[in-house]
Amino acid sequence: MAKPEFAGTLEKIGCNCWRIPKSFKAGMRVDGHIFASDKLMETIRKDQAPDQVANVATLPGIQKASLAMPDIHWGYGFCIGGVCATDPEEGGVISPGGVGYDINCGVRLVKTNLFLDDVKKHIRELVKALFYTIPSGAGRAGRYKFNPVETRRLMGEGPRFVLDRGLGIEQDLVHTESNGRIPDGDPHEVSDHAVKRGADQCGTLGSGNHFLEVQVVDAVVDADVAKAFGLELNQICVMIHSGSRGLGYQVCDDALSVFRNCPEKYKFELPDRQLACAPVGSPEGRKYIAAMRAAANYGFCNRQLLMHQAREVFAEVFGRSWQDLGMEQLYDVAHNIAKLEEHDIDGVKKKVWVHRKGATRAFPAGHPDVPEQFRSVGQPVIIPGDMGRASWVLVGSAGSMEKTFGSTCHGAGRAMSRTAAKLDGAGRKIEKELEARGVIAMATSRSGLAEEQPKAYKNVDDVVDTVHEADLSRKVARMRPIGVIKG
Amino acid sequence: MVPHESWAGYHPSMYELFEHTADLGLRVRATDLNTLFAEAAACLFSAVVEDIGSVEPRVAVTVELSGTDREFLLFDWLRDLLLKHAEDHVVFGKFEVQVRDDGLTGTAWGEPFDAARHMLAHEVKAITYHELKVVRDGDEWLAEVIVDI
Repeated sequence: MAKPEFAGTLEKIGCNCWRIPKSFKAGMRVDGHIFASDKLMETIRKDQAPDQVANVATLPGIQKASLAMPDIHWGYGFCIGGVCATDPEEGGVISPGGVGYDINCGVRLVKTNLFLDDVKKHIRELVKALFYTIPSGAGRAGRYKFNPVETRRLMGEGPRFVLDRGLGIEQDLVHTESNGRIPDGDPHEVSDHAVKRGADQCGTLGSGNHFLEVQVVDAVVDADVAKAFGLELNQICVMIHSGSRGLGYQVCDDALSVFRNCPEKYKFELPDRQLACAPVGSPEGRKYIAAMRAAANYGFCNRQLLMHQAREVFAEVFGRSWQDLGMEQLYDVAHNIAKLEEHDIDGVKKKVWVHRKGATRAFPAGHPDVPEQFRSVGQPVIIPGDMGRASWVLVGSAGSMEKTFGSTCHGAGRAMSRTAAKLDGAGRKIEKELEARGVIAMATSRSGLAEEQPKAYKNVDDVVDTVHEADLSRKVARMRPIGVIKG
Repeated sequence: MVPHESWAGYHPSMYELFEHTADLGLRVRATDLNTLFAEAAACLFSAVVEDIGSVEPRVAVTVELSGTDREFLLFDWLRDLLLKHAEDHVVFGKFEVQVRDDGLTGTAWGEPFDAARHMLAHEVKAITYHELKVVRDGDEWLAEVIVDI
């Protein structure tokens, strides 16, 4: 289904920032702001994502502007790469579509004290061991099973619940957004269906764009911050991209079926049913917030168990404990989430609901929510790219607090649809092509590999350059994949 | 636009997967609503399983829904089947639906997922309301649904 090019005005108003005036569409309460370079904007104009930025600007209680990051692409309801903040004091709403089905989809980066030369000769064996140990792909159950009581405890406590079973250390929690536990969630607001879907999936990768990669630091851009993060040239790291699995999808789905009657009940109009939302203080809104927070804690726990399995595989392959291999977690960020945060709105400090749908928190130096170890430099921001080119570590910078409610991009952003990428990959051996580029890749699904091939994505370097120049976050180090496992 | 391969029991041109940047669209055409809803379910499971023809009709599941909004009825029918697939690890390959003014009764036939015989193609996270459509298009009914991958 070819979508027409965006027909509205996109007016350049600053460094890599474009405005959709609120006069563009009836019902817009604020302007839209899209962060993109001139080059990226050429692609962005070609689908309906800017129109979705305008739709989000109609949400009750929205503050300042409806925002989009440079990895923006056409989503459902919200665009992917969208950020908006709503004020509960001004009738602000919470929108499950502004979080996404995969609540607390996010990325974790684990360092090692190994270097490229140490790993080169073991990479095949390592990727194979990771692939056969870590469950990936649609419908795969994990090795960790939790009964409904345990699943609800896990959602209440986050990864601390599994730390008590020897599956992680205290520092893992400190180096996770919100210390791995978003408070005030209520696991009892999570339906039995969701709990059932999540019972055997904690510690599984899933499919789609989720992955686990062995990466090598191939460029250090900011030596001081890289040193503070413990990153250096040719160092080996492990990047994990996954979310809250079926449990999170079901929490979103359950909420949307309740929320579809809210526009009529609370007397507001929405341009798209998928933007379904409810006032933050309404019974529907409160229930979703409690369940979403609990599902987010499950997401942190999923990445904790994925990391634990990766640590075990490295220990097995290299014959040393993971502690000996220096497998410390650098940081873990959520990029599908809504959080109550304090922000400066026209000179007044307000608590607002920041929705990040394919966007990453990027708090600058000095922010109290940045772990003490990094507070003098800023929050580590982890940006996964495609499986052939690169991923990045950035650091939060001051511009994010002024312009984007402390947010930056979340990845490369798709350039091709899944169907187009699958067609493009037909008859090709994607894993052989990757091998020629120095990447050993294993996937459970052949079509998954074609849909996720590098050229299906924008070049992550272009996306990262844009947020760096706009001062939403700054470049620290670039990582190149050498081993990939996918669903 | 990618027409879907033919498989036993269904006419290949009745449904197809269409492009959506991050996700997948299901598009179905039929002369009556009962066939439209059955074909929509077949299209959904053609996105879930690599070869929907490999699914044998060993168990039946019946779904009863009430409601007057046709789009919400289609959404709920697909949502219920997806939930049964996700919760009970069942795959479906054959469908019959009676759509009424006030609801529907649908039956899906399938079997427990068997890794030796079935290959899962996509993990469909959810059915979305985005651009959800059940409309008359000339002599036919047309349905469009975007699913989250």
